[in-house]
Amino acid sequence: MEKLASLIIILGSGLWLFSIIALEARWQWQMLSALVLTIGIFWAHFWEELRDTDEESEDSNDE
Amino acid sequence: MARERISQADEWQAWAQRYDIEGGIRTFESGLTVKVFVGALFVGLLMMPGSIYLSYVSGQSGAEAAPWVAVILFTELARRSFTTARRQELYMLLGLTGAAVGSGMQYRNFIWYAYFVNTPQAASYEIADKIPAWIVPAGDSVGVLTRSLLHPDWFLPIAIYLAGKLLGTLRFVSGQYILFRLTADLERLPYPMAPISAQGATALAETTGKEETWRWQVFSIGSMAGLIWGFLYIGVPSLTGVMMSQPIEILKIPWIDFTQSIEGFAPTGVFAFRTDFGQMLIGFVMPFPIIMTEFLTAMASQFILNPQILYRYDILYQWTPGLDVRGAGLFNGLDFWISYGMGKSFSLALVGMAASIPMLFKLRKSQKRAGERGSFATPPNRGDFPIWLMGAMWLIGMAGFVWLIHWMVPNFPLSFLLGYAFLYTPINSYITARTFGVLGRDLFEIPYLHEITFILSRYEEIDIWFAPLPDEDYGRGTQSWRVLELTGTTFTSNLAGTLLIMPILLVSGIVVLHFIWQIAPIPSAQYPFAQMMWPINATNECLWKTSLRDGNSQMLQAIRGDYVAAGFTSSLAIYGMLWVFKLPSMWYYGIIGGIGADPGGMMTRLLGAVIGRFYMIKRFGMRRWYMFNPVLAAGFACGVGLIGMGTVAIALVSRAVIVKPF
Repeated sequence: MEKLASLIIILGSGLWLFSIIALEARWQWQMLSALVLTIGIFWAHFWEELRDTDEESEDSNDE
Repeated sequence: MARERISQADEWQAWAQRYDIEGGIRTFESGLTVKVFVGALFVGLLMMPGSIYLSYVSGQSGAEAAPWVAVILFTELARRSFTTARRQELYMLLGLTGAAVGSGMQYRNFIWYAYFVNTPQAASYEIADKIPAWIVPAGDSVGVLTRSLLHPDWFLPIAIYLAGKLLGTLRFVSGQYILFRLTADLERLPYPMAPISAQGATALAETTGKEETWRWQVFSIGSMAGLIWGFLYIGVPSLTGVMMSQPIEILKIPWIDFTQSIEGFAPTGVFAFRTDFGQMLIGFVMPFPIIMTEFLTAMASQFILNPQILYRYDILYQWTPGLDVRGAGLFNGLDFWISYGMGKSFSLALVGMAASIPMLFKLRKSQKRAGERGSFATPPNRGDFPIWLMGAMWLIGMAGFVWLIHWMVPNFPLSFLLGYAFLYTPINSYITARTFGVLGRDLFEIPYLHEITFILSRYEEIDIWFAPLPDEDYGRGTQSWRVLELTGTTFTSNLAGTLLIMPILLVSGIVVLHFIWQIAPIPSAQYPFAQMMWPINATNECLWKTSLRDGNSQMLQAIRGDYVAAGFTSSLAIYGMLWVFKLPSMWYYGIIGGIGADPGGMMTRLLGAVIGRFYMIKRFGMRRWYMFNPVLAAGFACGVGLIGMGTVAIALVSRAVIVKPF
């Protein structure tokens, strides 16, 4: 899950750089990159927060 | 070695725990006594005229110092009377004096719009005759022309203001309280920044006891530093300004401009060294990673991005050699940075949502599993209110407010008002309360909300720009309830104090402002800051208020979609890449704050951060240094404030003296 979030974010950042360098910084392409980045960031945070919860609960069960 | 991933909440909580030196007390006492009430009223009303006057003369009211002056007077009186001052009393005194000294400024919009309605800008943008009567009487009315707030012409604006104030008090007290109970009692959120606010009152309460602790020593050091700095930076120019035509400035206020010096190798770059060394105190307190990344990004913006990329590719095209920091800043803003900044604001909102929405799920889930869930049961003697009563108060306050706005702008769609009042406000407030409870700061803020609303509503009348909208946020205020809890002040005493002092302040504020307006027109030569800034502000207000009237306004022309998209997407990319490489999220806030900003304005803050990090922590140890910090900052504010009030008093006396030519 973490790797998937990282992959989406890297893809979005790469697409944004490409749109700036090769696509005349058109806002449509930039916003497409923003959409990809948004999905990646939300994915990352959901994974991060809910992962912690699972681990904590496992720890408390161990105790 | 692989870097460990730390969530944003954990990162900020770890930083905030440095300030939390005591868990707070759990015995509650009333802070409201007759001496506190009279003391707050006396100092507040004594300083209020000076505060209003100073805000028109210099642009800074100095009001933040008044509560500390009251507290010091109070503690000294207590000490000389061989009694003690409790921290509950001092915290209450801080709040009530702050309210009293700021009471005159609550009516400042009346003076502003009395000026605005007769400006050539308002006339040329064709809005002077469209300003609603519930904001200001007509430009040719007696109340405006004779500068009298007590004239019957002002009845409607004042009545609307008072109705709004009453309804607002109902909504904010109840809304904040309900959210506090939800987040602090039920969800057990830590509110990590609340102990800082509680420190000042605690420090001074100890001074009236038999034993003095480190707090009083640190507070005294801060006060002396503030007194010396305040005298050099504010006192000398103000006092010499009274006696001479040209005041003497030991350090140039507010900055020393190097923009023209760097234009040879960094055209379009700006660099103005801000001379307010009081900013060092902020550097001591703020997280070091934020200050460092902010400064480095600002340097890169002004010395690489602006001259080498944006200027070279003709994106910054209005700049010409010889411009100072204000000129270069204005043109750079219109060409690129205003648009980029808008995109940046949207990214901040989105990142805030991404960080806070998963938090809504996380804590609830973990507490449920661990069996740690809090309850609505309240600690004994805290002075709590029934939830149903607070809920009813909020409903009445909000329904009344919606009706009032609907009466003010009857043609504006009611559905937008109802949506804001009963859907947006509760959700927005709850999310903010949670982020304050976890991080001690607001993450969730939708930029340009009013402008978006006006576009979506297709409402084209100008009056909506003057009306309030029910898009409120009570989350921020929940922290003050936590501070009350930490200082052991009963909630009922705080509410009683606020309600008792309010009618007195509502009347005295308008009377004092009336007399200050009678002295001379505002703006005029008597009030140099207002004279310099108000015409520019009037132009800006006209630009904004007419920005959606047609598709050809100057403000709309400055906003370019590709630059807004660049600001939005690049900020998201920065945040995402920091996450991928497991770097601190604080870097993001530093980078976003620094990009496009003037590094000269950050130098003193950086100096404070470096001294704190590389000397003070080594000298005193991390824990002690972070214990000292808030107390030192409070002492410094007190010292500067005392100097400010002293110089205002002298300036007021000198203005009252009539010099005769014989």
